[in-house]
Amino acid sequence: MKRLIYFSADDHTVYTWSRGSLAVEAKFPGDDLGVTAFREYLAQHRGALFYAVADLAGEDFHEEMIPYLRGADRELVVQRRLAQRYRDTRLAAALSLGQVRGERRNERLLLTSFTNTQRLTPWLDALAELEAKLAGVFSVPLLAPALAGRLGAGRGRSFVVTANSAGLRQCYVDEGRLRFARLERTVDMAPEAFAAFVRSETGRLAQYLSTLRVLPREGPPIQVIVVAPPGQRGAFERTLVSDARLSFLTIDQDEAVRRVGVKSTVPGQGAEQLYLHLAVRRPPRDQFARREDRRSYVLWQLRRAVLAAGALGLAGCALYAGASWLDIAGTRAEADRVQLETQRAREEYQRITSAFPVTQTTTDNLRATVVEFTKIARQTAPPERALVYLSRVLEDFPLIELDALQWRVEGKGTRGARARTSAPPAGPAAAAEAAPTTSEIFEISGRVNTARRSDYRAITAEVQRFADALRADPAYQIERTQLPFDVTSEGTLSGDISTATETGEAPRFTIVLTRRIL
Amino acid sequence: MSFSTNELRQLALPLLACLALLGAGSALITWTEARNAAADRALTAARAERSQANERLMRIAEEEREVKEKLEIYQRLKRAGILGEERRLEWADAMARIRTERELPDLRYRVERQLPLKTVPGKPANVEFYASTMRVVLALLHEGDLLHFLSDLRASGNAYYAVRSCSLARTGQPIASSVLSPRLRAECEIDLITVLDLAAKT
Repeated sequence: MKRLIYFSADDHTVYTWSRGSLAVEAKFPGDDLGVTAFREYLAQHRGALFYAVADLAGEDFHEEMIPYLRGADRELVVQRRLAQRYRDTRLAAALSLGQVRGERRNERLLLTSFTNTQRLTPWLDALAELEAKLAGVFSVPLLAPALAGRLGAGRGRSFVVTANSAGLRQCYVDEGRLRFARLERTVDMAPEAFAAFVRSETGRLAQYLSTLRVLPREGPPIQVIVVAPPGQRGAFERTLVSDARLSFLTIDQDEAVRRVGVKSTVPGQGAEQLYLHLAVRRPPRDQFARREDRRSYVLWQLRRAVLAAGALGLAGCALYAGASWLDIAGTRAEADRVQLETQRAREEYQRITSAFPVTQTTTDNLRATVVEFTKIARQTAPPERALVYLSRVLEDFPLIELDALQWRVEGKGTRGARARTSAPPAGPAAAAEAAPTTSEIFEISGRVNTARRSDYRAITAEVQRFADALRADPAYQIERTQLPFDVTSEGTLSGDISTATETGEAPRFTIVLTRRIL
Repeated sequence: MSFSTNELRQLALPLLACLALLGAGSALITWTEARNAAADRALTAARAERSQANERLMRIAEEEREVKEKLEIYQRLKRAGILGEERRLEWADAMARIRTERELPDLRYRVERQLPLKTVPGKPANVEFYASTMRVVLALLHEGDLLHFLSDLRASGNAYYAVRSCSLARTGQPIASSVLSPRLRAECEIDLITVLDLAAKT
């Protein structure tokens, strides 16, 4: 809940504001007794948030021109101008009226303050001392541009005239900026008389501003928006007839309340409720309170901002998490769908394989057993083939007699029957090295039974012929031939040809055959 | 705008609350990211399984043919006694029977202890191949006896007989001798291979 204190010449009223609804909570006389009562009231509402709205006569408006500056320099100049203009600057403000482009860039300011700030300061001190949060001190004229905008005033010049509890408030707004305002005390009078009073006061205001050259003497009529007290719009419209100088637009106070957005008002109170609502909902940037007077409010705002930042961060994270969660839900749904498809494929596989022949083992074991066994079998060979082959070749060589045969299976990098280890291969390199090359090696040792054992040529030729015959089957290759006589240049040739008779053993030879198995 | 100690104290609680809220938000994001990553991993795994299952289903015709082919070989191995535990007593019986039937003058053998064979990677863990090396020394009247011995040994079953080496040499006995004495001596090294399929139904 927010609270507003409305300062008028007679008394000061505390309103509560909640969701656009205004209600009177307390009323204090403007004297010292009122301040005391206000302090007691504040003691019961420590830490309450207050907006101060002053609706007092004697508010000064003065235009100044300063060099176009920014930041601390501008602030320094503004404060100096305010100090030059007003004796007490505690409640003084400088409203920018925009830049003036000429030879030098200048800024026009509207300096404003109350001629008697002492009427307000005890109340503001009470607020500070009793830890109330003061959002700002506004005057009704400061809120007039916002009201003019809500009531449909254009961007040009306009007067906003309202019948407040404090009196008849007239504000001059130019291009959305306040230029001048005055408060004229009123007494109870009939609607027609009050309308005539409004008409005459508006004319006087226009005349005064023209005299000051704030208003041009010539030009289009000035729009005057008059908020008529409830039920008096007819009388006002009859009285407030537009002319070449002033163009009146009368709006009933109830209609104005609706346009401004006030949900409920206090019956019997004047149009100040419009300004009070705007002070809460559309507080202008410029106001009268010093930074020190608003310190509690700024600190409160800072605390709220910090909390809001945390909440915003959490909300952002929650939003992101929510979006991520949608992704997760999508991914999970996709995974469920894929798993369902997998299950269907497996069931289909099971259905089909159930019609397979009875295997007595698992399919994987069946495959592994047969594949592995086949590989092992391919890396082995029976010796019978080589023996039979040799036997057939020997039929054509009656002179050759065999002494010994050696047959073996030899492999390089094979993992067959001879590679017996339970250790797995070291890796891909080892697997590459273990390219299976298995061969059978058949070593034939024999001799040539000839009568002329010194006939080297004939014996060598016979062994060569035998070796050539063994090569008849292309599957077999001669790996090595050791002749009875070493006729190579690298070997030693020896012989005994001195005796007349042939003695000693028959010349021996060795032939090594190979056949690749795998 | 500078703050007094009291004002800073007033700001401390909102700051802590703000940090707590931001921390909670970060934790929430971290948690959802972790869940997201887990869901992605699960989806990737599910897709891989589906791909595998579909490929398997597509290969089923080929697999059926393969099963039929392999089953025939598997049953032959089973009938031959190659599948299952070693049957050393049956081997000994077979050696004695061959010696008697072939009237071999002498037959000595020695079977070494069983060793596992190195097998293909990716093979099911419950299929093992084993080999026991048998060294045989034979006294032969002629070389045909060796061929008959090997043939009989294979026919006896109870293992796959992979001959690793055989050597044949003359004993030096004169051919003209009136007594039938061995003229050849053979030495062979033979692997007796058996397969142990732990998933096989008896």
